[in-house]
Amino acid sequence: MKFDLHIHSCLSPCANLEMAPSEIVQRALAAGMGGIALTDHQSARNTPAIAECARRAGLACLFGLEVCTAEEVHTLAIFDTTEQALAMTEWVYAAMPKRVNDPDTFGDQPVVTWDDDIVELEWRILAMGCRKTIPDVSAKCHELGGIYIAAHIDRSAFSVYSQLGGIPDDAAFDAVELSRTADETGWLPKAGGYAVTRSSDAHNLDDVARVWTEADIPAFDTASLKAAFAAKTTSLSPRLTNF
Amino acid sequence: MTADEICAKVDGVLAVPVEDAAASGVYVGDLLSDVMGHAGEDCALVTIQNHLNTIAVCTLVGCSVLVICHNRPIPPDMAEGAAREGVAIVTTPLSQYAAALALSSLPPAEH
Repeated sequence: MKFDLHIHSCLSPCANLEMAPSEIVQRALAAGMGGIALTDHQSARNTPAIAECARRAGLACLFGLEVCTAEEVHTLAIFDTTEQALAMTEWVYAAMPKRVNDPDTFGDQPVVTWDDDIVELEWRILAMGCRKTIPDVSAKCHELGGIYIAAHIDRSAFSVYSQLGGIPDDAAFDAVELSRTADETGWLPKAGGYAVTRSSDAHNLDDVARVWTEADIPAFDTASLKAAFAAKTTSLSPRLTNF
Repeated sequence: MTADEICAKVDGVLAVPVEDAAASGVYVGDLLSDVMGHAGEDCALVTIQNHLNTIAVCTLVGCSVLVICHNRPIPPDMAEGAAREGVAIVTTPLSQYAAALALSSLPPAEH
């Protein structure tokens, strides 16, 4: 089964407003994905919408958020249910600055319905980090039953390597992610012994599922992913070289 | 101090010029949350964070001169954002400390 575990919707301030949950699901199906995870910056508020879209379209979907930690490292917390993802969101929100987003500065942050209506604009600045450290976020994610992945470890900003110079011993990740352009032969030795994923980190529709991870799993759920990560039986799509 | 003068002091290149961009103090920081919490208005921000979010933080704290150290390249979206928001970008081969020393005639801009 192929899956893309890192996709942003229009809720992320840096994502294109075309990233409606309904469109994301259609693109993922067209690309042959067996499952996807929605992971907006600091928030899972669009996961109820994509849950309904995925249910209607018959696509397996997990629900998460890309938590920017106190170290300003991007990490993925991914869950089986929207309730878990929203509980994680509340916990992250409580540790975020109480500044109000200026859409002209950072971008719009619409919370939407499954059929593309805008419910409200999230007022927090989702582009900013929270005050919780990687070990804290990891512990909370696992307490809520999720899987925890270090995002795009090869990137020169917002990654464990850019911020901390490597993978911290106390992170307790379930896997580490390579970006769409990363050369895995160079990066696998730097994965800290963790299983490696590759996901699109799509911020616009054309990037949804352009790269993916593959594993022989009985179902697209966090338990199956966790087992595949532990056994290191995941494989990666080719990287993009003309990006 | 104008962006041009700052550029000369750090032996830099004005990657994004902005008319009338100037600073009355300096703040040094690579953690954007720290910059957001402590950088004073009208500062020159010395950092290695060469991405678009840094421009947004400059806008929030009222910084109109950004000094990017170690000659890190400026991505196109960052340059566009800076021009749009009126943030001049200087790139310098210097480290953060060396850049701060070069700008030591300006006071700390913090709160």
